[in-house]
Amino acid sequence: MTDQLDLPAPQGAPAVGPAIAMRGLGKRFGDVIAVKGIDLDVPRGSFFGLVGPNGAGKTTTLSMATGLLRPDAGQVYVLGHDVWSDPVAAKQLIGILPDGLRIFDRLTGLQLIVYAGLLHGLAREVAQARAEELLAALGLTEAQGKLVVDYSAGMTKKVTLATALIHAPRVLVLDEPFEAVDPVSAATIRGILADFVAAGGTVILSSHVMDLVERICTHVAVISEGLVLAQGTLDDVRAGGSLEDRFVDLVGGSTEVEGLAWLRTSSD
Amino acid sequence: MVAHLVRLKLDLLRNTLRRSRAQTIGIVLGLLYGGFLVVALAVAVAALRGTLDSARALVTIGGSAGIILWTLLPLLAFGSDPTLDATRFATYAVPSRQLAIGLVLGALVGLPAIASMVLGVGVVVASSQTVWSTITALVAVPIGLLTAITVSRWISSLATGAVSSRRGRDITAIVGFVLLAVILPVSSFLGESAGDAEALVRSAAQVLAWTPLGWAWAAPGDVAAGELTLGLLRLGLAGVGLVAAMMLWDRAVRAEVQAPRGSARVRSKSAAAGDLGVLGRVPGTPAWAVGARVLTYWLRDPRYQVSLMMSPVAPLALLIPYYSSDLAWVPLLMGPLAAFLLSWSEHNATAYDSTAFWMHVGAGVPGRADRFGRLLPNVIVAVPVLAVYSIVGVWIAGRWDLLAGVVGLAVALLGAGYAVSSMMSIVLPYPVPKPGESPFQTPPGAVGMTLLAQTVSSIATVVVAAPVLVLGLLAWSGSTWAGLVALVVGIALGVAVAWFGVRLSAATYDRRAPDLLLALSE
Repeated sequence: MTDQLDLPAPQGAPAVGPAIAMRGLGKRFGDVIAVKGIDLDVPRGSFFGLVGPNGAGKTTTLSMATGLLRPDAGQVYVLGHDVWSDPVAAKQLIGILPDGLRIFDRLTGLQLIVYAGLLHGLAREVAQARAEELLAALGLTEAQGKLVVDYSAGMTKKVTLATALIHAPRVLVLDEPFEAVDPVSAATIRGILADFVAAGGTVILSSHVMDLVERICTHVAVISEGLVLAQGTLDDVRAGGSLEDRFVDLVGGSTEVEGLAWLRTSSD
Repeated sequence: MVAHLVRLKLDLLRNTLRRSRAQTIGIVLGLLYGGFLVVALAVAVAALRGTLDSARALVTIGGSAGIILWTLLPLLAFGSDPTLDATRFATYAVPSRQLAIGLVLGALVGLPAIASMVLGVGVVVASSQTVWSTITALVAVPIGLLTAITVSRWISSLATGAVSSRRGRDITAIVGFVLLAVILPVSSFLGESAGDAEALVRSAAQVLAWTPLGWAWAAPGDVAAGELTLGLLRLGLAGVGLVAAMMLWDRAVRAEVQAPRGSARVRSKSAAAGDLGVLGRVPGTPAWAVGARVLTYWLRDPRYQVSLMMSPVAPLALLIPYYSSDLAWVPLLMGPLAAFLLSWSEHNATAYDSTAFWMHVGAGVPGRADRFGRLLPNVIVAVPVLAVYSIVGVWIAGRWDLLAGVVGLAVALLGAGYAVSSMMSIVLPYPVPKPGESPFQTPPGAVGMTLLAQTVSSIATVVVAAPVLVLGLLAWSGSTWAGLVALVVGIALGVAVAWFGVRLSAATYDRRAPDLLLALSE
């Protein structure tokens, strides 16, 4: 925690501080400590992959970083703004795609995106124009008048991504953005995100698909049981090998399957 | 299998105590409150032991009323228990007979059933005049309880099936109104003939004792009074009734498991491209956006429709005692009652968002926008409803001199209700059916908290509006000045309390929004 003092970027100087800085983030749920003090720097302009096994604390960490879940310890800074003491400024800079939370799915696709824009304080004309562009970019123009509850899982993911983009955030925090998304839509989303990063934005996404992270991310962090095991550029973390091998090394656990003999029906 | 189902129910009950501290305290207080009422009632029942005549009449009537309550239970607020919904077990290969028995026994592990059992003990004590009557009661009371629960399960499976379709929803609503329209005149008729109440109770008990509702409850009294044959006959009939109820329930379970209904979703027609609906017709601020979204949900989400339909229509029920007896002043309350019900209905508003509430938290919506915006649709409905009911009520009662007082009281109640509800929906949200679930389902284990939050909201609203209530009473008792004062004070108090209450709740929201989201995710 020694480097906490120099976190906010110097005023007037070129922006150099990290897009997201987590310092000693911790969270417990009853007897379970889900996150055990995470220090993480997401550099500006990076495409940051957060990988970890199921239950590693990825969603908990991202929720605390976006102001949705109050941490029990530690701080989060988004472009120098403390998310938990200056939430209004910080939240204008973040676009969120959470995992496992509902959306207002009795609105139509268009209504939902515009609603998100209005909540962020956009003028309605601006919100509607942007929403229509987003719908077109995500291939949802045809479905814009349908209730989101009638959308497929992939369409729901895409419309939620649109709600995260409408206010032109500088940092995108995406929890499992490619889950349940078909390959064509995934390619579309990757394109949008790549443009976003190319234009100076920062993306942090969580995933447990190593191939995907290896393909699109510039930086990566491996977390397990609420701790950061490794972080840095993709090449630093994988250290010559493949990300998947490195991941298994770090997280431990054997890939050998023991038992379950009864499941191998060919044996009889 | 049966044991598994009972254990499942026990686990669910225990898990409700594992929530946040505030919620646990809420549940415990709710339990203490409810438990006290039930035990007091059971003691009162047991005290009937001394007087055989009253015991025979009152136990029969009370028991029959209990079965009716259990039957209506799934249709009213406490709802059918989703953990006992047979459809949920359709994917497991459970024999339907075992499932039927298991689900009934599982229903025994719940607060309503435990309360009924405590009252049942009171009935056994009340019937323990002789050895034989005690034995009869020990057989008859469990039969009565099981009949009540089985019928309740059966009705709830019918009702949940019916609510799955839009048509079914309309029918259920109509049935609700018809029941209301029947029960109220009957009760006012009973009130009217209070003079010869004793004779009435006795004859009602005699009639009920020969219906399936009363068989089980009348039997022990018969035996105690020495009419052994009659008692045994009724006991036998009660047994037959229970078997019949179980057969109906078993058939319903088999139907549900073999042909589970699909998800209840009415496909909506698509809106035109670029059509924002209500969102496009209000000022483009965050507060109005929240209001327009809530209004859209009122139109599209059946969970809101059930309570919304009741609030503006319920005051009409006050006309029934007016027409069936001489209570000329009752219609005066129509405006204030509408105001109270409408503002009170907001006391758990945030919980209906479920976890979609993250959009407000993540966007950093200011508390004032969220809190005021949420009340906007209610205000839009409440103002005309309140005006119409106040004027109509005064007109029917023929007391134009009281109009000022009535309007003042209504506005005061509305404002107080908004202030209290706005705060309560942050401080003590309780679980409600999730989006897409039947509006008649109550999440398991929420009865205690529901009761507590509803009681606190009602009492707090009335207490805040109390000064105007006093002025209203003075005006009614003849003080002309009090009516005008009630109007001025009522409007001033209502507006001021609503303004400051909602501002206060907005400040609380700004501090606690993420914690509220956490409470809604559990």
